[in-house]
Amino acid sequence: MKGGSLLLPFLTTMENFMMTPHLSKAVMPVGTDTLADRVSSAGKSDSQTERTVDWLSLVVIAPAVLILLGFLLLFFYGVYQSLTDLRLGRPIVRFVGFANYTALMKTTDFWNNIRVTVTYAVCAVLLQALLGLAIAKLFASGVLLARLLRPIILLPLVLPPMSVALMWTTMMNPQSGILNYLLSLVKLGPFSWISDPATALLSVILIDVWTYTPFFTLIIFAGLQGITDDLREAARINGAKAWATFTNIELPLIAPYILIAGVFRVIESLNQFDIIFGTTQGGPGNSTAALSVQAYFTAFQNLTFGRGAALMVVNWLIVLIGAFLMVKAWQAVRSRVS
Amino acid sequence: MRNSMAAFRNDARRRMKSILLGSLLLTTTAAVTTSAEAETINWRQFEGTSITWAYDIHPYADALAAELPQFEKLTGIKVTPELYPDDSYWNKLTIQLTTKSPAWDVVGTGIQPAWDLAPGGLLEPLDQYLNDPKLTDAGYDYNDFFPSLRTALTWKVEDGQIATGEGGHVWAIPHAFENIQLFYRKDILDKYKIAVPATPPEMAKACETLKAADPSITPLGVRGVRFWSSIHTAAVSIARSYGVKDFVMKDDVLDTGLDSPESIAFHKDYVDMIKKCAAPSFANDNWYQVVDGISSGRTAMAIDSNMFGFWNDVAGKPASGKIAFAPPLHAPNAKNFESNIWIWSLAMNSASQKKGPAWLFIQWATSKQVALAGAVGGKLVNPPRASTWNDKAWLDYAAKPEFNNFVESFKTTQDRAALAFTPRVGFGEAMNAWAVAMQKMVNGDDVEATLKSLAEEIRAGM
Repeated sequence: MKGGSLLLPFLTTMENFMMTPHLSKAVMPVGTDTLADRVSSAGKSDSQTERTVDWLSLVVIAPAVLILLGFLLLFFYGVYQSLTDLRLGRPIVRFVGFANYTALMKTTDFWNNIRVTVTYAVCAVLLQALLGLAIAKLFASGVLLARLLRPIILLPLVLPPMSVALMWTTMMNPQSGILNYLLSLVKLGPFSWISDPATALLSVILIDVWTYTPFFTLIIFAGLQGITDDLREAARINGAKAWATFTNIELPLIAPYILIAGVFRVIESLNQFDIIFGTTQGGPGNSTAALSVQAYFTAFQNLTFGRGAALMVVNWLIVLIGAFLMVKAWQAVRSRVS
Repeated sequence: MRNSMAAFRNDARRRMKSILLGSLLLTTTAAVTTSAEAETINWRQFEGTSITWAYDIHPYADALAAELPQFEKLTGIKVTPELYPDDSYWNKLTIQLTTKSPAWDVVGTGIQPAWDLAPGGLLEPLDQYLNDPKLTDAGYDYNDFFPSLRTALTWKVEDGQIATGEGGHVWAIPHAFENIQLFYRKDILDKYKIAVPATPPEMAKACETLKAADPSITPLGVRGVRFWSSIHTAAVSIARSYGVKDFVMKDDVLDTGLDSPESIAFHKDYVDMIKKCAAPSFANDNWYQVVDGISSGRTAMAIDSNMFGFWNDVAGKPASGKIAFAPPLHAPNAKNFESNIWIWSLAMNSASQKKGPAWLFIQWATSKQVALAGAVGGKLVNPPRASTWNDKAWLDYAAKPEFNNFVESFKTTQDRAALAFTPRVGFGEAMNAWAVAMQKMVNGDDVEATLKSLAEEIRAGM
């Protein structure tokens, strides 16, 4: 639901982007209507004044509108619940205003939840973007190894996140896990991984990176495929080396793709639940307690649903801000490329 | 002569017929009488209905599921089991009951979750069914359940809070239970000549000896996850022997006792013991890891529910005969140990539309016969009925050599086993916070400061 309301303006822009047939058209100036367009739209406004209500169209789109309203209603109901002292199992519910929010803000755990949420998302997405870019470039090179790896690299993406979490929990066991065994072969470790508050957050970020880097790879690889060879050839003729071609031509052209993947991943990472819950449940202590995990505990383990709903609303606000900033960055990059 | 012989044969035939008919009639009458005496209720009064029974995926559920055809044959009631993995089950249970869904008629629960469910009217009080002679068989004998179990599942709701004492309702019926014990690999302790520890400092010392002798062995398996379930086994049992109480009355006001001097003393010893004894993965260890460690021999000792030791001693298991039992650890200056209990029970959804059939199922599933069959089958352990513990079939089975001192240790522990938590709504919230604080202390946070902060958090939620 959070994603649904958030993505509306974003999807419109995405639609424009995706409908661009190829990259050369994407660099065409946008927002400059031709004279014919203006004449056509003027004609339309005349006809609109005469148009009668098209009931059939309204009936056809009614289900979609109702579903949308249903989503919005649920969302606002969730916001309302955050303003109550709703406790699962207790029949009496009182309106308490912003008491849940003020109570949360007085605790150090709440600020820790925000710190963990933001650190997790920022680190995971940055690492995924860098690795995804490197792997996509390898794939675009067309070497034999890349052709062999292409189908395999997508495997983490198709695994259910909870299975991924359980698999990594076993591998990261400080005593019997395979990671410490492999590191011991090169005289490293043993590490406590998810069992030590000093390394737990980094460990769950690494799991996220392993799982979702292929997503970046896929999107960036598609961007690289869209760059015609003429551009690279022109650069080569003008004496540009491979690194210069990459930084000055390829990277600016695929930057919108990276940011698009980034938007999706920022939204998901700020909401991440499965990987953290399946490995550390937010521990040790509160070292990996992201807002989504803490909200789950508060609502469904402690049964204080009103307080849990407040945490979810705060989580939603952070997702909204994160997605807004990413979309703005994408728009800026795209206009610069154009 | 021939006629007289024929007449004699006819007469004898008639007499034989009469005797046979008479015997048959007597047999039938006796059978009917016996049946009527044993079955004071009409078990087929809800014939043709069907109910849903929801439960955790657990050996207790397996034991009941295996007997379901008998119940269906007896009553004509169809039972559909819905079994879920542990975490999913508790979440689904909360949601099903709080939304007043009638989909589940009978549910499995423990005492602690019931504290949060009963005040909202989500569970059906069962005394009205227990006291109804049309619904409860005269031979059911509710008082046969151990008194500590009956007491733990009986309370009233006053001003939205749990109130124990006289006049309470019965909210669930036990069908198996666990008391907390120390169980250990006899082969490992014997090999390194280590005596069974009785206090946390003794345990810490034993762990150091074991680690020095064989670094690959984890000396002690204990739950450490950040849920109250990791508190309810070793921590709260040992804490009680130090005089720690989760809640106390101060000037007629309920307060937490987790920042008391006794609590500080306990946590210092316990945290030191965990650091020296538990696996580095303590914070991620749940009962699965504890059981896996003891059954595989990677762990030498464990403090948890005693039946985990029993189940791994069953003939044919890799650890069969190697696990022995002792009461839980106690404070160095305490005269006695304490042991918490967890009761797997069957309760009725108050929103159920088939309460009569649901009660018949609960009654049958917790009857003497099913309790005994489940116990002798090696699954419904510990049996909650005193009669099972007096039954030769169960005692003969539990006294088999592979179970070592299971029966003696059970009897010793059960004498002192009781619910170690204060019954109250909001139990989970406070105890989850305790589990998180425990992780912080084990990871190096100052004990006193952490307990002070924990107590403030609990007070804020009261």
